[in-house]
Amino acid sequence: MAAKGLDKCFFSLRLLRNLQLRNERLVSTSACRLVDDKFIPPSKPVIIDKTQSVASLRKFLSPEFVPPRQRTNPLKFSIERKDMIRRRKVLNIPEFYVGSILAVSMADPHASGKANRFVGICIQRGGKGLGATFVLRNIINNQGVEICYELYSPRIQSVEVLKLEKRLDDNLMYLRDALPEYSTVDPDMKPVPFSPTGEVPVNNIKVRMRPKPWSKRWERPKFNIQGIRFDLCLTPEKMEHAQKWAEPWREYDMLKEYDTSKLEEHLLDEFQQEMSK
Amino acid sequence: MRLTLRALISHGRVARKMGLGPESRINMLRNLLTGLVRHERIETTTARADEVRFYAEKLVDYAKRGDTDEKAMKMASFWLTEKDLVPKLFNVLAPRFETHSKGYTRMARLPNRDNLDRAKMAVLEYKGNPFPPLYPVKKDNELTLINQLLRGYREDRAQQLATKA
Repeated sequence: MAAKGLDKCFFSLRLLRNLQLRNERLVSTSACRLVDDKFIPPSKPVIIDKTQSVASLRKFLSPEFVPPRQRTNPLKFSIERKDMIRRRKVLNIPEFYVGSILAVSMADPHASGKANRFVGICIQRGGKGLGATFVLRNIINNQGVEICYELYSPRIQSVEVLKLEKRLDDNLMYLRDALPEYSTVDPDMKPVPFSPTGEVPVNNIKVRMRPKPWSKRWERPKFNIQGIRFDLCLTPEKMEHAQKWAEPWREYDMLKEYDTSKLEEHLLDEFQQEMSK
Repeated sequence: MRLTLRALISHGRVARKMGLGPESRINMLRNLLTGLVRHERIETTTARADEVRFYAEKLVDYAKRGDTDEKAMKMASFWLTEKDLVPKLFNVLAPRFETHSKGYTRMARLPNRDNLDRAKMAVLEYKGNPFPPLYPVKKDNELTLINQLLRGYREDRAQQLATKA
């Protein structure tokens, strides 16, 4: 009998104590926080590792450094490479491929603010040495615009990579004959973060084309285009007819081979040495 | 419309045209190369020999990679139309040129062809072939008086050295 009474006492005491505690908590923190008993941890600190430089973690040699197979004196190419490295020390030209989205700002005396900025997909990288160019394509106000920039021109003030990716082809000139949705890039696009190490993401998109005629006969094997959906625009008979221009002996023609792997390694070592000076 | 004459003017073009077109040129070179690998010495026109020379040396470079290499086997089976020469290429020619880094062939001019066209002829051979050399080494005539006297002198000296030792 006494035990039961004691139990009741303890239980009621515990209730009172809990109520008191809860009331105290409510009173002390009700001004700033709603009823919330869960624990919210503080935000984790972001660690930026500044000991390792971001640029040199992936081995990439820009294609304009590799000299073409010519009869000119190699001295010309080595002098050009020195000048290219001098320019690169002043202006940071990032690593990019055909199919990545870039934003270039170039000095222009007639533009307000003395500089104009253009955002677009890189469709082609041409030229070797100091005359190396890249073509950016975008569609602005339903008008397709392609601008060919020279990488080493002194007018270029900055080159930023908004999205780094590769495509199935080296030359995306067929975007001129593709539907406009594949060439539009938002001019105010935010840069997509990409890791400096690891593989470059390959976009396996197969593009839909406008009805023929096209600017070039992209179905012919000499262009070797992987990134078009031919099954939607061409019949199998037309594809077979296009194969008439295939030259099967070309892959066995040893005269046309130009093996640049050793040259590229040598040039990459030289480039990294010069840039670190 | 292109107003330039790029197709008509051939300044600086180094690639030769042979036969009916690019396919015909490759087929002709293939036949020549097969003949060269089989007989190791062929005579043709100078232009054809010059073209085949490059392909012959590149083929030996591929053969040096060994017949387990897929690319080398594809190249050999494309360029050699007679398939019994493929093992000859890998087992005879490749080991022969192990020590050489380049320069596996030799080309020499011949008198012009006897036909009406009087074409410029050349002979092309792989080095180390079993035939007598293209540039024969001229030996002095043993039967002249001076050579006989010198031979006698050499034999006397050899005898003297033998008796001393």
